[in-house]
Amino acid sequence: MDRDLLRQSLNYHGPSLLSLLRSEQLDNPHFRSLLGSAAEPARGPPPQQPGPGRKEKRVDNAEIQKFISKKADLLFALSWKSDAPATPEVNEDGEDSYAVMPPLEQFMEIPSMDQRELFFRDIERGDIVIGRISSIREFGFFMVLICLGSGIMRDISHLEITALCPLRDVPSHSNHGDPLSYYQTGDIIRAGIKDIDRYHEKLAVSLYSSSLPSNLSGIKLGVISSEELPLYYRRSVELNSNSLESYDSIMQSSLGFANPGVVEFLLGKLGIDDSNPPSLMRGLQSKNFSEDDFASALRKKQSSSWALKCVKIGVDYFKVGRHVDAMNEYNKALEIDKQNVEALVARGALYATKGSLNKAIEDFELALENCPTHRNARKYLCQTLVERGGQLEEEEKFLNAESYYKKALDLDETFKDAEDALQKLHKYMQKSLELREKQAEKEEKQKTKKIETSAEKLRKLLKEEKRLKKKRRKSTSSSSSVSSGDESVSSSSSSSSSGHKKHKKHRRHRSESSRSSKRHSAKASSDQIDQNRKDEYFPVPANTSASFLNQRQEVEKLLEKQDRVPYQKKQVKEKDRCSVSSSSVEIPDDFGGRSEDSRDFYNSYKTQAGSSKTEKSYRYERHFSNRRDSSDSFSRNPEDKLKNYGYRKFEKDTDGRREHYRKWEPGSMRYSTSPASSDYSSKSVEKYKKCNYSGSRDFNRHEQRYQLSKSHREYEREDNCEESIKPEAPEEEELSSKEHSESGAKKNLPQNLLNIFNQIAAFEKEKGNKQKK
Amino acid sequence: MEDLSQDSCGGEDAAPGAKGWPAPQARVHFRVTRFIMEAGVKLGMQSIPVATACTIYHKFFCETNVDAYDPYLVAMSSLYLAGKVEEQPLRTRDIINVSNRYFHPGSEPLELDSRFWVIRDSIVQCELLVLRVLRFQVSFHHPHKYLLHYLISLKNWLNRYSWQRTPISVTAWALLRDSYHGGLCLRFQAQHIAVAVLHLALQVYGVEVPAEAEAEKPWWQVFSEDLTKPIIDNIVSDLIQIYTMDTEIP
Repeated sequence: MDRDLLRQSLNYHGPSLLSLLRSEQLDNPHFRSLLGSAAEPARGPPPQQPGPGRKEKRVDNAEIQKFISKKADLLFALSWKSDAPATPEVNEDGEDSYAVMPPLEQFMEIPSMDQRELFFRDIERGDIVIGRISSIREFGFFMVLICLGSGIMRDISHLEITALCPLRDVPSHSNHGDPLSYYQTGDIIRAGIKDIDRYHEKLAVSLYSSSLPSNLSGIKLGVISSEELPLYYRRSVELNSNSLESYDSIMQSSLGFANPGVVEFLLGKLGIDDSNPPSLMRGLQSKNFSEDDFASALRKKQSSSWALKCVKIGVDYFKVGRHVDAMNEYNKALEIDKQNVEALVARGALYATKGSLNKAIEDFELALENCPTHRNARKYLCQTLVERGGQLEEEEKFLNAESYYKKALDLDETFKDAEDALQKLHKYMQKSLELREKQAEKEEKQKTKKIETSAEKLRKLLKEEKRLKKKRRKSTSSSSSVSSGDESVSSSSSSSSSGHKKHKKHRRHRSESSRSSKRHSAKASSDQIDQNRKDEYFPVPANTSASFLNQRQEVEKLLEKQDRVPYQKKQVKEKDRCSVSSSSVEIPDDFGGRSEDSRDFYNSYKTQAGSSKTEKSYRYERHFSNRRDSSDSFSRNPEDKLKNYGYRKFEKDTDGRREHYRKWEPGSMRYSTSPASSDYSSKSVEKYKKCNYSGSRDFNRHEQRYQLSKSHREYEREDNCEESIKPEAPEEEELSSKEHSESGAKKNLPQNLLNIFNQIAAFEKEKGNKQKK
Repeated sequence: MEDLSQDSCGGEDAAPGAKGWPAPQARVHFRVTRFIMEAGVKLGMQSIPVATACTIYHKFFCETNVDAYDPYLVAMSSLYLAGKVEEQPLRTRDIINVSNRYFHPGSEPLELDSRFWVIRDSIVQCELLVLRVLRFQVSFHHPHKYLLHYLISLKNWLNRYSWQRTPISVTAWALLRDSYHGGLCLRFQAQHIAVAVLHLALQVYGVEVPAEAEAEKPWWQVFSEDLTKPIIDNIVSDLIQIYTMDTEIP
C-alpha cells in the first residue's frame, strides 16, 4: 500500500473518506496498519474549498468516496504504477508521432506570477533550457529563457526569467582568446541547468554536456538556430498570435494526431502496458487469467490433437500397406502442426522403409529436437543412421560412414549394430591407408630414379657455368646474409609434414586442369613484374621473408606454366602483349608500397586477372612456406638442394646486379613492352619443354626446374646485360618462330636441356661458395 | 464516424433510481461485455479494438431486442468484426477456442468436427447480420486518443515528482476501459468521456491541478470547449454505477 498516496487522498477528501475506508476495507490486512497511522493527519484536513458549489461537491464526493473506498486496495496498490521512464526525456518528438500541443497553462491563462512561482518550484538540475543572450560580461553571459528543451515543457517566454552562464562553464572554441568572444547578444543558446536558487529565483546554466543527465548527454549545447527550437514552443508562439484557436482544433489539425500508431506511441511514453491492461473490475484482473486460457496456447493444443488424429489414420494406412495414403495423412498432420513429434516419427519411419534415408534422418532429428525423450524416435534414428552408414561404406565414402556410425553410437550407446559396423569400418580404413602408403612409396622411388639420370648431366654443365659466373659475380655481404636467411628459412620449413603432399596434389590437379591462355598473359606480366621489381629492388633486409617473394613469384610462374598444356601459341603472343602493356602500367603503383603485403596482393591480383580456376592455387603464395616445405620434403633428392642453391644464388645475383638493373631499367621497360611476349613465349616454350621432358607430373620437380631455368635466365641477363638484349632478342625471335610451328616442342628440347645444365652449373657454384665460407 | 450525442437506445442502462438494482437487460449486457473484455485480453487484442467490439455490441442491442438473438453469439461476432475494422484481425478458430474455454473452464479444445464448423458458420453469419443492423457504420471515435494527449499535456504542467508518484495514467486508462461495460460510449462525446475519466482519476488520488483557482479557464474546459461541469458529473456518476454492478453480478 502506498501510504503517501493514501494520505494525499485522505487529505483531499476529508474524514468521511477515512470512515468509509474503515468500513469497506476491514478485512484487508494492508489497510489496518495504514488506517491506524493515517488517522492522525486526517484529523486536521485542510478545509474544502468554500464556494457555492459545495453541496454538489459533497454529493459527488460521497459517491466518489465510496468508489474509492471500495477500490482502494487496487488503487493504492504498489504494483499499480506506470512504467514510464523516470529520467527526463527530450521531447524532441517530430510532428508526426503525436500532436504536440502548446503548454496547457497558456490555454488556461494562468497569471504570470503563478506561472513563475510554479516554474521555480518545478525546475530541476539537468533540465535543458533555451534562451537568448541578453548581455555579455567578463564573468559570463546572461540569457533570457524562452522555453525548455527537456523535462517539463512550460510557457516561460513572457516571464522574463534570466539565467547566468558563468565563464567557467563556457567551453572555448579556439585555443586562445576569450571563449566569450564566440557569442553575441541575441544568439539563441541551448544550455543545461546547473544550479538553482529557488528562493531568490536565480538560475545558473552551463554549456558543458556534463551538466546533463546521461541519457541526454548527446544533445548539443551552445548556439542553435531558430529551426531547432522545440515544436511546442513554436506552436505556443502561433497560439499567441492567434488566440482564438482552441486546444481541440489545434489537436485535430495536427498531423501527428492522425498517426495510426499514435495510441501505441503515447502508451509507451506514458508507461501504460496494453498487453496486461489495467482494470478496476474485480473479475478482469489480468493476473488472474490462466495462461492456458489464452488463444495461442489453446490453438497449439488443438493443433496437436488434430494432427494426432491424422497421424493415427496414417499409421493405419501404413500397416495395411497403403504408403501413399499414409504419406498424405502425415503431411496433412504436419501442415496442421509443424512440430508434431508423432507425425515426424511416423513419417520418418515411412521414409526409411521406402529407402529415402536422408529424409528419414532429418525427420527423426527434428522430432528428437522437439521431444528429446521420445523413445521410438531415438531408436529409429539409430537404426537409420547405421543403415545410411552402410550405404556410404559401399560407396567408399568412409569418413562419412564413420561419422554416421559415431552419431548413432552417441545417441544410443547400447546399440550393438552401430558398434559392430564402426569397428569393421575402422579396420577396413586402416588397411586401405596402409595400402595407399605403400603405393606412394613406390611412386617416389620411381621418381627418384628419373631424377638421377638428369642430375648427372646437369652437374657437368654446372661446372662450366661456375667458371663463367666467377668472373661476373660480385659477392656482397648482404648476399651471404640473405643466403643465411634463406638457409634458416629452408631449415625451418624442412620440418613440414607430408600433409602438404595432398595440398600440392590438389593444386597440381587443379593447375593441370586449367588451360586458359589468360594465364599466359598473367605469366608474362608477372615476368615483367619480376624484372622490374628487381630493377627497383632495394636491399633485401636480412632474415626477412622478402626473399620469399621472388621465389614465390618464380614458383607462381612455374605453376602457371605448369598448367599449360598444348595451346595455340599464336593467340598467346597477342594476348601477352596486351596484358603486358596493361601490367606495365600497374607495376609502378605497386612499387610504391614496398611491403610484402602489397607484393603479395599484387601477385595474387595478377593471378586473379590471369586465371580463374587457378586463383586458389596461386594464392598459395601465402602458403608459399607450405610449398617450400613440401618441396623441401622432397629434398631427399639432391635436386632440391640444387634448387635451394639456385634461390640463394638468385638472391645474391639480384643484390649484386642492382646497379646493372637500374641502368638497364629504361631499356627493360621498353624491352618489356615489345619483345615481352617473345621473351615470355620463349620461357614458356622452355617450360613447356620441361613439362614434356619430365613426363611425370610431379609438381615439385617442375618447380625445381623452373627455378633452375629462371635463375639461369636471370643469370644470363646479368652476364650479358646490355649486350644480352640484342643477342637474346634474336635468340628469342628464333624461339618464337619455332613457337609458331606446332612441332616446336620437339625441336626445342635440346634448348631446354641446355638451360637446365646451366642452372645446375650455377648451383654447383653456389655450393662451392658456401663451402668456402 | 459515429457521434451519437443523445441516447437512442431504450432501456439500455438501468434507471438509476433503485440503488444497485439494475434492470435485467443491463445485467445481461454487463455480463456479456465482461465476456468481451476478458476474451479480448486472452486473444491479445489491444484496448481500442476491444472498445470497438463493445461499442458494436451495445449499438446492436440498441436497435434490436435482447431476446431476439443470442447475446454471446453477437459478442463473438462483434469481436471478429472489430478485429477486422481496427486492423487487428482475429481467427475464428481462436475466438471459438477462447469462448469455449470461457464457458466450459478446463475443457479440452474442440475437435474438428461438424459442431465446430457449425459454430464457425454461425459466427460468420451473425457478423453479416450485425453489419446490416448497424448499416455498415462500424467506425467509431474513441476517447482513448484524446485521453492520451490530455495526459501528456497535464504531465508537463504538473510537478514531475507528483506525476511519478501518482499513477494517474494507469487509473485513467483502467477507468476508460471499464467504462465500456456500459453504454457511455454511445451517449457522450469521446472528448467528454476522456476528460471525465481524467477528472475522476485526479480526484481519486486527491491531485490538484496547479493554479486551478487562479486560471481563467479550468483545465477541463481547455480540453473540450463545450464541456460543462454537469456533464462531467453525469459521466462520472454513470461510471461509478457501472462499477457497482461489478460486485453484484458474479
